[in-house]
Amino acid sequence: MAAQTVAPPPDPAAGLADSGSLADSAGLRATVFGTPPQDLARLPDKVPLSEINITLPWRHPVPDVLWFDGKLRVWLSAQKKPAPLAIVIAGTGSDGNTAKLTVLRAVLYEAGYHVLTMPSPTFPGFIVSTSSTGVAGDLMQDGRDLYAAMVEILAHLPRKIRITDVDVLGYSLGGANAAIVKSIDAAERKLNVHRVVMINPPVSLFSSVGRLDKLFATTIGNGDAGVELLYRKLYAQLANLYRASDRLEIDEDFLLSAAAMTLKTDAEFSAAIALSFRIDLVDLFFVGDLYAKTGVVIDPDHPPRVSESLDSIQRVLRDRPFADYYTRVFAPYYLKRRPDATSASLFAANRLDIIGDVLHTNGDYYAQTNSDDLILDKRELMWLQDTLGSRIVVYDHGGHLGNLGDRRQVADMLDMLAGRWPRGDE
Amino acid sequence: MKAATFMVAGMLILGGCAASTATIRTVPDDTPAADNTAAIANATANDAAQNPRQALPLITPEDAPPMYTYDPWERMNRFTYRFNARFDEAIFLPAANEYRRAPAPVREGIHNFFANLAEIDSVVNHTLQGRLKYAARSLERLVINSTIGFGGLIDVATKLKLPAAPTGFATTLAKWGMHPGPYLVIPLLGPSTLRGGVGFLADYGTSYGINAAGFYRGDVSWGLGVTNAVDQRANVGFRYYSSGSPFEYDRVRFLYVRKLLIEDQGLRTRAPVNKSQAEEPAGK
Repeated sequence: MAAQTVAPPPDPAAGLADSGSLADSAGLRATVFGTPPQDLARLPDKVPLSEINITLPWRHPVPDVLWFDGKLRVWLSAQKKPAPLAIVIAGTGSDGNTAKLTVLRAVLYEAGYHVLTMPSPTFPGFIVSTSSTGVAGDLMQDGRDLYAAMVEILAHLPRKIRITDVDVLGYSLGGANAAIVKSIDAAERKLNVHRVVMINPPVSLFSSVGRLDKLFATTIGNGDAGVELLYRKLYAQLANLYRASDRLEIDEDFLLSAAAMTLKTDAEFSAAIALSFRIDLVDLFFVGDLYAKTGVVIDPDHPPRVSESLDSIQRVLRDRPFADYYTRVFAPYYLKRRPDATSASLFAANRLDIIGDVLHTNGDYYAQTNSDDLILDKRELMWLQDTLGSRIVVYDHGGHLGNLGDRRQVADMLDMLAGRWPRGDE
Repeated sequence: MKAATFMVAGMLILGGCAASTATIRTVPDDTPAADNTAAIANATANDAAQNPRQALPLITPEDAPPMYTYDPWERMNRFTYRFNARFDEAIFLPAANEYRRAPAPVREGIHNFFANLAEIDSVVNHTLQGRLKYAARSLERLVINSTIGFGGLIDVATKLKLPAAPTGFATTLAKWGMHPGPYLVIPLLGPSTLRGGVGFLADYGTSYGINAAGFYRGDVSWGLGVTNAVDQRANVGFRYYSSGSPFEYDRVRFLYVRKLLIEDQGLRTRAPVNKSQAEEPAGK
């Protein structure tokens, strides 16, 4: 394996990638392909949907090159009768209408909730429209931004939508965000968040990401050459599959079946996971560098304009691990603004245990995860179990989100939200 | 006049300062049950098709075109991309969303109707490509659907095991060995290449020249043209900048051109790959 390449600059994130993740073969496969459609919980025929575009008063000036991200866009499915509201937060880098959110929206709506789906605070559209800093990834800061946005959105809902209760859920990083939002609400009391369900949450954003970076280095390699090699392999495989088929055009069905035939080994699954995460990271890095004016890839005095090629910037960022974002954008930005903070304290502030006591004592926090989730290690999983006790359920299989929407996950999630957990019969 | 302008501007500014502004609009319903049924059907179909024939010499990673895409008109293309995104968000997509409120059978009829008209162009181009089997199939489809399919409203031919195989002049040019040329974002239409643009004009010219049923000239052509465009848009899932990413232009360009090159290779080879072509910058 090509893990031992040139050592990255020393930084706090590097050491944390050491602990191995829990993922095995089945876990990796489930993570890539998601829940098989035939295993999904029963889905309704129709879910009404509205799109809400909101301009927030605290928004920073929108950079030219991000002109399309000025408004926060969220989606609402409203019941006709008074009903509890479930707010669902997407995972790292994702918008508020992903396929995973569509499934959660469907089952929650079917169960009688109004459903509001929101992007992750690490989604570029959120950072530009809503973040008060432009530098995403700080659990508390992102939580405060999310919370403020939720308050604004609810203030704009039509009066005929009557909300009896508010619960917050999230998957992946969105799960951690949901828990933080409730803890903020405990002091501010503007939403009166009742219950929280975290689905496959990280315990430490930075160590989870460190593990993904390591995955990238071992499966794809460092430098642009690694990405290029992977691209060439994929291209050749797709081209061969296409030639061997009778299709006139490459469409989504073709790509799905091609993926099933192309990705077979653990290394290939890992590369797919690592690459899809890296693509999100490229966006996060770009936007952070632009707002923080840290000058890593963007000249603060001459930010790129709409008509300019971003080719060279993209090529540089493709090769940047999260550790670089942390040391060159995130830490410099927050250290300058928080006189008491140190690099170590910033790092510690991004662990879910900053609200560990509340998670332990407050019976309204719940979690679902899998024993083979690659974003957790053994210690972190144990910490979640110790902290939440009977309010966490750990499934044997599913990897990271590879069982989201399946019958059991949905039934348990709905029981947790309704306060029927732990169930008497188990 | 001036005072009024100031007042409006002032109100807008003050309005912007005082509070957030929000628009709420209804968009087409999610249809999770139907989507999932389709996903299951596809998964089953894919499992069944897991044994591709593999007689041809394989394309190796070395044959892959570079990741770099030939885009000498990038400046203009990026502006056009932004224009298209704005037009789509303001006009095209809302129109398509309204259209999607119409009952599904009605929309299907409209879609079939336009697909049937396009068969004429497919017959011509399959012939030019020397793929007479496909040309005959398209002709059969045209005849069957225009008659017992009530002027194309019902796709009877597909039910008779004659699936659609649409093609156009851009594919004909590809078959004749023409390279895609520079990447080109066409106003309103979106990502293409120089060859794709020429192909589009030629397809339009063909339809205009044949002028089937008088649909392509005069007042009726405008109405039909707009309906066709809206119907097409309603059948495409893409949303501009749903990625939120500053690199969306780059990623769309990358994927579009790679898809085109793989399709080109398929067209030409389903015979051995021409090595020298593969080494030039993608799209050139």
